[in-house]
Amino acid sequence: MISFDYSDKAVLVTGAGRGLGLAIARAFHEAGAIVFVNDRTAEMVASAMAKLGGGDRLIAAPADLATAAGARKAVAPALAQGALDILVNNAAVNIERGIEETSDDLWAIHLAVNLKAPFFTVQAALPLLAKSQGLVINVASELGLHAIPNNVAYVAAKHGLVTMSKAMAIELAPQGVRVNAICPGTMDTELMADCARDSGDPENYYRSFRAYHPLGRIASPDEIAQFVLCLASPAAAFMTGSAVAIDGGSTAGRV
Amino acid sequence: MRRVLTTGSSRGIGLAIARRFARVGDEALVHGVTHAAALGALSKIDGKAQAFGADLSKPEQIEKLVSDVGEIDVLVNCAGIYEDMPFATATEADWDRTIAVNTTAPWLLARGFLASLRKRKGVIVNIGSDAGVLGYAGCVAYCASKGAIIGLTKALAVELAPEVRALCVCPGPVATDMMEQSVMKAADPEAERLRWASFPHMKRIADPAEIAEAVIFAASPDCGFATGSVIMVDGGVTAGKRV
Repeated sequence: MISFDYSDKAVLVTGAGRGLGLAIARAFHEAGAIVFVNDRTAEMVASAMAKLGGGDRLIAAPADLATAAGARKAVAPALAQGALDILVNNAAVNIERGIEETSDDLWAIHLAVNLKAPFFTVQAALPLLAKSQGLVINVASELGLHAIPNNVAYVAAKHGLVTMSKAMAIELAPQGVRVNAICPGTMDTELMADCARDSGDPENYYRSFRAYHPLGRIASPDEIAQFVLCLASPAAAFMTGSAVAIDGGSTAGRV
Repeated sequence: MRRVLTTGSSRGIGLAIARRFARVGDEALVHGVTHAAALGALSKIDGKAQAFGADLSKPEQIEKLVSDVGEIDVLVNCAGIYEDMPFATATEADWDRTIAVNTTAPWLLARGFLASLRKRKGVIVNIGSDAGVLGYAGCVAYCASKGAIIGLTKALAVELAPEVRALCVCPGPVATDMMEQSVMKAADPEAERLRWASFPHMKRIADPAEIAEAVIFAASPDCGFATGSVIMVDGGVTAGKRV
């Protein structure tokens, strides 16, 4: 593992209660950062903070990101502290359904949490990010670059997030704020476990997703989190508007 | 004779598309925000045509449109809105309006017409934008909405093949009322028009008929092996830029 130093940096991670978000929050926290921990409820945030070992560099930022007001609420603790260097829009909804089974509500929640929330968290955080010459990392997905069947709302929202990241990068570049997207492949997270259970045949679900990635495995959240720390480091200071696939080769071609 | 619904076909690119389908002998199902707007366009179309009104920002009106129109062979999701929208001051209502018309309406229509599209081995042609591929300042929500419709197109394509094809035609700047309204809002409209014409490598703004031509091809059996395709008709804008 590369060792990063994020002491004196303030980082907000949305959806940090579990999975990739928790791994990102842990990685920044272990690297010395102050971490604003967001998830839907105060209980989820408290539980995540306990898992991260507690301490005064963890600040609760509970908010439900299904509305613009919720997105602004997630940024409020950072605004109160007057500091934010890195905003990681990680929170996401992924409930896989075929086209006919994708209800109006299911479509709406995917577009709200996966696409609208990042718009309004960045908007709310903009004064702080402009002051710190900070950056945004939007966690999109390889499904922001190509599609699979039975996941139409997620695919649409994540494609939107990839293009939105580019538009934000262009509009915010004059203020010195950078915006990049990462497009991870399948990760061994609770979200994936939910999807596997939901599929009715978890074992086959994991097997097919391992085979789907040319590297023959799914990613660990910790390795994606390490990549987020690389992307937030000065090594990536010339990057903005990029959508970086970190997907075991799945968008590169067919095995 | 195919039944072709083109949303937003009372004017602009949509009208050019409806006219072009009617000219090759298809039935043009013309849609406008109001029935009157759609009716007004019928005189500009040679061939079989019918008018339908629906506000696509309202799901219940989309549902009614689907039932009024009946079975179709081709769905062209052309209706769209563009608003200059500085990122720092855009409101939730601004965001919701853009996403409702540009992204959610095409989705609801695709799902609504799915049974007949499957039965008739139909085609869905979504109208995207160069702004669905490239990011532009001043219209972050629009870029998000058009990026999402490209994703929607691919998701429909992979799930509905081989019965139904789905493609996305992405215009660059086109001479429409929508562009005219944006141009006229500028302090110096003529300079603004020249600015729009200067950035495509083709050094001009497209005519709506040029976009219609690509849509006709996408929907034709001649294009039968293409699905999930993102067809750029943008004067070269997304290919690269000059230093």
